[in-house]
Amino acid sequence: MIILSRTLLFVFTTACFPVMAEMKSIDDGDLSEVTGQSGVYLSGDISINENGGPLSDNYFGACTDATKSCGARIALQTEQDGGWFVIDNLRGGIAFEGLTMKIRDIDSGFGGDGALFNREVLEIGLPGTIRFDDFQFTLAGSATERPSDPGFQQLDLYGVEMSGEATLKGNLLVFPTD
Amino acid sequence: MSYQWRSIFSSIIQNAAFIALGAIALPVHSELAALSDNDLSEVDGAGIGFVMEDFAFSHGNDSSQGNVFRITGITDSDGNPVNINVNQMYIARAGSEYGDVIEGVNLGRLDNPYEIDLLDGNDIGLPGKGVLEIAAPRMVDSTLGYDCLDPSAAQGSGTCASRPASVDFEAGERPDIGFELEVNVAGQAQTHLNMHAHSAVFDGSYLRLWGEDSRMAAEYRLNFYTPALEISTCAVASSACTSKIKMSDFKLELALGNTFQPLYIGVDNTTGGFSFQIDQMTTNYLANIDPVSGASDGSAQGDIAYAFYEDYYSNQDYRSDIYVGDIEIGGTSLGSAKIEGMLIQHLDVRFRDLTP
Repeated sequence: MIILSRTLLFVFTTACFPVMAEMKSIDDGDLSEVTGQSGVYLSGDISINENGGPLSDNYFGACTDATKSCGARIALQTEQDGGWFVIDNLRGGIAFEGLTMKIRDIDSGFGGDGALFNREVLEIGLPGTIRFDDFQFTLAGSATERPSDPGFQQLDLYGVEMSGEATLKGNLLVFPTD
Repeated sequence: MSYQWRSIFSSIIQNAAFIALGAIALPVHSELAALSDNDLSEVDGAGIGFVMEDFAFSHGNDSSQGNVFRITGITDSDGNPVNINVNQMYIARAGSEYGDVIEGVNLGRLDNPYEIDLLDGNDIGLPGKGVLEIAAPRMVDSTLGYDCLDPSAAQGSGTCASRPASVDFEAGERPDIGFELEVNVAGQAQTHLNMHAHSAVFDGSYLRLWGEDSRMAAEYRLNFYTPALEISTCAVASSACTSKIKMSDFKLELALGNTFQPLYIGVDNTTGGFSFQIDQMTTNYLANIDPVSGASDGSAQGDIAYAFYEDYYSNQDYRSDIYVGDIEIGGTSLGSAKIEGMLIQHLDVRFRDLTP
């Protein structure tokens, strides 16, 4: 009984580790035979810090408090021990319907380029319209990464606010180049 | 412990060994190692190409439609807020009638796309460096390309790869780009500033980024060609607007930074102000060049230094050009204007806050 259970466990163990199967590389020829499904259709409604983020201190707080910044903050440094490029007070909503992703074979069109190209590309279809809901951000430079760090000094360049529907249409084609 | 439990316990221990053996077979022993600049400089892989097909973007501030698009956070010299409404911003097919007709345009070509690539620094004068490049379509041989300015250019007329719209290829690869700004300051009359570029081309532009002395260094080329660039102050940009500056055949070829003198883009760690710097150029062998005649002293070092300066001063790639075929202000032609061969040898621009 114990021997049987051990055998079962061994089988179970090996079954749990598919790495025991031999790995084999797939060459370009094999890959070219692979055809995917028709693609992906995406709709989205993204909301960032609509009411405020998780932090509450001297700088960050609820959006109802006009003295506080309630959006997200992204800081990027291009020099060791240097200051920070900042996208500050990033918040609001972006909604879209009909973003598509699929593999497309191009062999015509594009003013004659398509026939010469004659390859597959990844096509990301833009939704046509995109809706902003009180979407805003501020571009700034900052002496420190966080507003709570000592020596914090920030120079806001300008802010952008967007609401309503914008036209954003077309297909983004992505492919490897030589 | 009964015999049965002891057997089960023993069984678990032994099977744990099997499991451990199975785990050893997993490829988790492969070690991850950071890539150095030298490693990266050996990378010469394929890049990623991007082409926008039938692309159009348009958005504008319009209270009747519930659309908001504004730029905030700017104050005048008295500290009053300056609210800038972006009444329209667009990228669309040439012939957009100042953004009224939004049709799709292609950006980039399948055989010459916008591209993100990792370059071998050894090939571009940056030995031992890996260089990230973001590039617009490249310039091509004049037998294959199209005139960069002419909106009806035929093949073989110039070096730009992007083709203008035509009867056979309606979308074209040269977009109309523009915006209309409405500037509001409390207590002052509303003013407007509009810009419209017709059939614009960015071919030959690129941004290269690499690491140098613990900071990000850059080489930036901005090529911008348009047969008509209009800057106007009418409430609505249109062909009827007479309060405008119209620049025909506008050509900008801006060169900021090169391999000898990179452009450093950073932020001051005390004030938070942006900084754009191009350091003064120098070479290790300056002492081997005659300060009067500029000739090498005959040594190998002198010859290297001479070749260095010869390239620096004669290479057109390091120089910026601005050319305008005709400037027309309020309907009066002022003729052409040209700035050619401008070599930026030192740049130190820093942003400071004027708020008291």
